[in-house]
Amino acid sequence: MGAEVVLVEERIRVSNLAKQFGTFTAVHDVSFTVHENEFFSLLGPSGCGKTTTLRCISGLEQPTEGEVYISGRLVTAPRKNVMVPPERRGIGMVFQNYAVWPHMTVEQNMSYPLRLAKKPREHVATKMAYLMDLLELKGLEKRYPSELSGGQQQRVALGRALSTDPKVMLLDEPLSNLDAKLREQMRFELKDLQRKTGISILYVTHDQVEAMAMSDRVAVMNAGAVVQEGAPHDIYANPTDKFVADFIGTMNFVPGTVVNATEQGARVRLRGGAEVTVRESSLEAGSCTLAIRPEDILLGTERGVDCEVDVRIFLGNVIEYRVRIGEDLLRVQTNASIRLEPGDRTRAIIQHALVFPE
Amino acid sequence: MNMVKATTGRSTDVRYVLMILIGLFFLAVIVYPLSLVIVKSFSSGADFTINNYVKVFSQEANLRAFWNSIWVSCLSTAVCVALGTLLAMLIVRTDIPGKSWLRMLLLLPYGIPPFIGAMAWAQLFGPVGYVSKLYMSLTGAMSAPWRIYSAGGVVLVLAIYQFPVVFITVSGALGRIDTSLEEAARMSGGGPFRTLIDVTLPLITPAITASALLAFVGCISNFGIPALLGFRARFFVLTTRIYSALSIPDMPLATAMAVLLAITSGVPLVLARRLERRQSRYTVISGKSVRPQTMNLGAWRAPIFIIVVIVSLFAGVVPLISMLLTSFLKYWGAPLRFANMTTGHYKYILNLPMVTRAFRNSVFLAVAAATITMAVGALVSYMSIRAKIRGAKTLDFVGTIPYAVPCTMVAISMILAWSRPPVVLYGTIWVILAAYLVRYMPFSIRTTNATLQQVHVSLEEAARVSGAGWIQTMRHIVMPLIRPGLVAGWILVFMPALRELTMSVLLWSQGAETMGVVIYNMQDAGYSQIAAALSTVVLLVILAGNVVVRKLTKGEVSM
Repeated sequence: MGAEVVLVEERIRVSNLAKQFGTFTAVHDVSFTVHENEFFSLLGPSGCGKTTTLRCISGLEQPTEGEVYISGRLVTAPRKNVMVPPERRGIGMVFQNYAVWPHMTVEQNMSYPLRLAKKPREHVATKMAYLMDLLELKGLEKRYPSELSGGQQQRVALGRALSTDPKVMLLDEPLSNLDAKLREQMRFELKDLQRKTGISILYVTHDQVEAMAMSDRVAVMNAGAVVQEGAPHDIYANPTDKFVADFIGTMNFVPGTVVNATEQGARVRLRGGAEVTVRESSLEAGSCTLAIRPEDILLGTERGVDCEVDVRIFLGNVIEYRVRIGEDLLRVQTNASIRLEPGDRTRAIIQHALVFPE
Repeated sequence: MNMVKATTGRSTDVRYVLMILIGLFFLAVIVYPLSLVIVKSFSSGADFTINNYVKVFSQEANLRAFWNSIWVSCLSTAVCVALGTLLAMLIVRTDIPGKSWLRMLLLLPYGIPPFIGAMAWAQLFGPVGYVSKLYMSLTGAMSAPWRIYSAGGVVLVLAIYQFPVVFITVSGALGRIDTSLEEAARMSGGGPFRTLIDVTLPLITPAITASALLAFVGCISNFGIPALLGFRARFFVLTTRIYSALSIPDMPLATAMAVLLAITSGVPLVLARRLERRQSRYTVISGKSVRPQTMNLGAWRAPIFIIVVIVSLFAGVVPLISMLLTSFLKYWGAPLRFANMTTGHYKYILNLPMVTRAFRNSVFLAVAAATITMAVGALVSYMSIRAKIRGAKTLDFVGTIPYAVPCTMVAISMILAWSRPPVVLYGTIWVILAAYLVRYMPFSIRTTNATLQQVHVSLEEAARVSGAGWIQTMRHIVMPLIRPGLVAGWILVFMPALRELTMSVLLWSQGAETMGVVIYNMQDAGYSQIAAALSTVVLLVILAGNVVVRKLTKGEVSM
């Protein structure tokens, strides 16, 4: 058997994108590629430039610098004076507030792109029937948006974006206006939808749980730039800097001092005197910040550092403690089998920790 | 416990007594006079008859006035809608330069009393008007090819003084459209033009329709413009025809025409309010607001800008300049040279007892009308919105009825109600005050309702929970929060009352003149420069009032 070459088609390519609003730089030198069949998320706090990036790809915004390719076609390049208008880019988009037209019925909303494309009536009818079924909107065809719930409006927006079978779909925080229960349900449905349709999705969100749950790959953005890109579990396990470590998941940050650095790892001393072994190599001696996940601390062990339980919160499947180790307060998550009371003194083992320079 | 019970009990009683008093006040001042007009229109002596209406539709002059009212208002409204919508689109949605300046210029006619505007347009485009003379000197023609004293002139000037309603409403609606609705159309494959037709226009259609209805009502119930520009051409509309019928006097005919006028203006008003209510159901969840995308006009930018500037200037600034010039001109028709300028007219009006009297009267009437209507309005609003007392909603409704009643009909109702014993107010300033109270009551109630609605009940409840009594809650929480709204509302009644014409021109008498009446009579008698000087003074007062309102409401309200 010879080596098989699998050609993965690229659907969106953004290179060196920059957007300036007056003197404010919203996006700075952003590059990434979304492949076919991929669920790609831009994740970051509000104001990090993720929505601006998305709008530059959609053509609703013109970047100051950089290029955007959709399915291999150059659609935006201010240097080359290329700016394909949004309606000729052949992409679907779902807006944060759904942007379902209040003066059109569910069916009129969803079939609008098809009618604009002058598709034959039978095609529109079949497509509508298929989408109503897929999105569970049957029976609501003649309703107006004001008669729909938030979740239904959202599905209408999805249906509208899907109606022309685009190869690329852009979603701008589509779940942020839904209540918690529905949001969790929609995560599965979106992922499922993407698998069924084979569409490439570029998803913008500030909710790291959402991004982690659905994405094949995530680009974490901060202050207008991509700070880390990779598979969700990679980013969770190996954040490249303090910002990502803090933004993704829960993280304890405690000050420490590197006391014994070798090629294999190092020992870091906390303020209370307790010492932790880390795997990081080639660390410089001196002060640093230690980052520890709550689930990486074991409580009630026989060995380890001394600690005192400060607060306990019951979360159902897990129990979260706040414990005092030396001078620091740390969050610890354990399963429900370990029962400790506030004021209890016990020992803890820090299984895994990351070190960031001060 | 006992004490609490006692206080609640007593305050409830006070509120009911107050409500009954206001109810009686409304019955006497609003319901009784207005119903008299309807009764009178159906009676001949003591008998029921429809002859008065037959007379309207069978006498050619009356019928013509009726149709004139309808078609003039329709045509003016069409011009308003076309002009207002187009300008709103240009200013809100294109890259036209100087937007805020243009907007200010275009809203200027809103602050100018229509009859003063009509005078200015006569000065500009009349037979020896400034623009007409300029045209004649440029072309060598013996006369200008237009006549401002004509049906066409009435239509044009009405349109200019009503189009700000459309402009404000439509640009407001355009600004409130969630831009993502339009972006969604672009992402669905629609170009800018398709998006405009399929999404933008349908979304602002309710606003256009509602403002068109309001403009129509403004046109059909206007008196000053058709009086100043139509009389000379023997062109009558309902309002001016009623004025003539009253000077005969033919009361039965006047009442019948007033009722017809009330119907033709009342129906569109009701429709407009329904539309407003329905539109509130149109609101959809709104996410982050993105700056509305503006269309690039490209090569058209400069020519369109120039046209818009000319239109904007003629809407307000040019008439104002013309008014100022005329007020300094030695005699009407004199060439515009510095040698022909004088401050004599101002000296003259300042020494004319009638003018000082009229000024005093107008200020007194405006202060009294604003204070009384705001006080009553605040009480009615509090009872219907906050205390939710049974029957308070009815008060609210009765108080807002006059909103649908044209000024002309209000004036006639005052004549009918207050010119016979036991209460004879006709012939004094008090009948004008009564008319103002009727007319401005709805505006006050609307403002106080809106103001009170902004103060959430929880703010009051929080004060009560913190230990404040009812009086303390009023003094420390409610009053400070609604004071700016009340002050703005007061001025919003004071300003139009100060320059009111339609009602006072039908109700004035020797010694009870208002500024509007004096200006109108001066202009009517041919003293254009005196009228212009008086108008300039009134306009300055309006300007000052506007500045005060803007300061007080931080730019949220203006006239």
